[in-house]
Amino acid sequence: MTDLVQASPGTARLPRFTGWLLLAPLAVWLIAFVVAPALILVVYSFSERDELGRVVFTFTLENYRRAADPVYLAVFGRSVAYAAITTAICAVLAYPVAWTLARTRAPWRGRLLLLVMIPFWTSFLIRTYAWITILKSEGLLNGLLLYTHTIAAPLELLYTPGAVVLGLVYAYLPFMILPIYGSAEKLDPALIEAAHDLGCGPWQSFARVVLPLTRPGLAAGVMMVFVPAIGMFAISDLMGGARVPLIGNVIQDQFVGQARDKPFGAALAVIFMALFALLYWLWQRRTEGRVA
Amino acid sequence: MPTVVRLLTLALVAAISPAPRAAESLNLFAWSEYVPQAVIDGFSQETGIKVNYATYASGEEMLSKLLTGGAAYDLIQPPDYIAEAMIRNKLLRPLDRARLPNLRHLAPEFLALPHDPASAYTVPYMIGTVGIVVNTERVKEPIRGYRDLFQKKYSNRIVVVNDNREIVSWALVTLGLSQNDITRASLAKARPLIAEWLKLVKVFDSDSPKTPLLNGDVDLGVVWSGEAAKLIKGNKKFAYVLPAEGYHSFVDLLAIPATAKNPAAAHRFLDYVLRPEVSKLISDEFPYTNPNLAARKLLSPEQLANPASYPPLGKLDTFRDIGKAAADIDKLMTDLKTAAAK
Repeated sequence: MTDLVQASPGTARLPRFTGWLLLAPLAVWLIAFVVAPALILVVYSFSERDELGRVVFTFTLENYRRAADPVYLAVFGRSVAYAAITTAICAVLAYPVAWTLARTRAPWRGRLLLLVMIPFWTSFLIRTYAWITILKSEGLLNGLLLYTHTIAAPLELLYTPGAVVLGLVYAYLPFMILPIYGSAEKLDPALIEAAHDLGCGPWQSFARVVLPLTRPGLAAGVMMVFVPAIGMFAISDLMGGARVPLIGNVIQDQFVGQARDKPFGAALAVIFMALFALLYWLWQRRTEGRVA
Repeated sequence: MPTVVRLLTLALVAAISPAPRAAESLNLFAWSEYVPQAVIDGFSQETGIKVNYATYASGEEMLSKLLTGGAAYDLIQPPDYIAEAMIRNKLLRPLDRARLPNLRHLAPEFLALPHDPASAYTVPYMIGTVGIVVNTERVKEPIRGYRDLFQKKYSNRIVVVNDNREIVSWALVTLGLSQNDITRASLAKARPLIAEWLKLVKVFDSDSPKTPLLNGDVDLGVVWSGEAAKLIKGNKKFAYVLPAEGYHSFVDLLAIPATAKNPAAAHRFLDYVLRPEVSKLISDEFPYTNPNLAARKLLSPEQLANPASYPPLGKLDTFRDIGKAAADIDKLMTDLKTAAAK
């Protein structure tokens, strides 16, 4: 065997070269749209700015010192809380939906999956404005409740923290449903039957068989909801009345808003990315540890 | 299949071939929803110059994109304090007044203001104030100024523009300070007042502050005068009040960046916009204070009587460039908003 491989080095190198060639578009894409922008942010974060907001390349730690101010830590903590609540609600809502989808027979399964994805065909902003029409004081929901005499005065629905969470859950729910569905679909029903045969009740077979086996999908869904939800700024502006600054709003304000302070915005963004990288690494290590 | 290939080829050829000389173009960089489509179409029809209208949502965004230099803009629409900083940094091109005969229509009180003392670089487009809108059907007590507005009983019934510098300036004038006095000391004085006010606000919205008033989500607001004018035009229950403690005006300008590729077309557009009948079209759609006296003569008595469009203006008090102090305002407001939200 070894002789053979050594005898024909040309054929061994060829597939490797083709492999790299196939990887090239992805690599170029990653370098151009992930690595390069991230490096620019890192360079910006150590720079200063002039009075017009232009970046002046020096080396200063001032932006990071400022980012450690309790003001911004509070904003960060609040963003994490909003994203965590959103993720939890999404998980609870998505799990039964994904499970039902996975257990539905062929023609209907496709149709129901399509329904989950249809909202993506409309612009996200338009869908958010639709929620404003529903929730506003003289909106559809209040109109219906008043008409049916369920309430006496219009409820305050829009421009509340609840409205922000509703908007976030609505926007990210499909990102939780789809990965869980992917895991649930692969689960062999015979395993549940086996659990029942061995004396597990419905709750026990869920907790000890179904949940562990769909955990990868659930974990992927948590990542796909939590990460974008924490940086979202449009929903807190539109549905929350911009009362609560989230970290996304603060960063946006540094780049195109009144603050005119790109280096500080870059420092916040870099801290943000570093935290995610750390969390992801810890999570990876934990799951790998469990497998081993 | 062959048709598709041919179409694709045609599209490719069209994309890479240089634009024909005849199709001269003007790159206009302006606020979103501030230049009526009819004005742009009319200019193109008359001159054959194609107008590319790119938009921004804040003066700071405009400045940032202009400085990054991705595209060359021929005509921009900066607010007064941004223009001041741009003139100081030699980013604007002096105007050729000989090419702007219609300048004669402008009222002198809107010229030679502190941001451009010799009116050498900028032409006023529209003037506005920031004032209080009251839904008089729901609020019966008189509202004369900020102290009347920001009261506990109006908690959760107020919209204000989502503009940190604006909000700080209201607190400064309420305390008897100058709105341009942005120092650490004056911000510290204004801090407790702003903290109280923010707790009462239900919505912060700069893009369309009239919407929550119109939807009935709030009954009071501190908004741009043009937004207020639209509300009053649609419904007489809304009233506009210039705050008794003091208020400021903003002058939105037109100017030519130093990097403009086609300053000749920019001058033509400027002079076109200054024509009374064209300027009237802008007033019809965006009812701010029109500085063009000849255009005002073409407006209806109802338009001129709108108290938000044509309030009794005294000496114009405008924002000045504050440079890096903007970061202090940003931090103060982020802090107070976070605290107010509990």
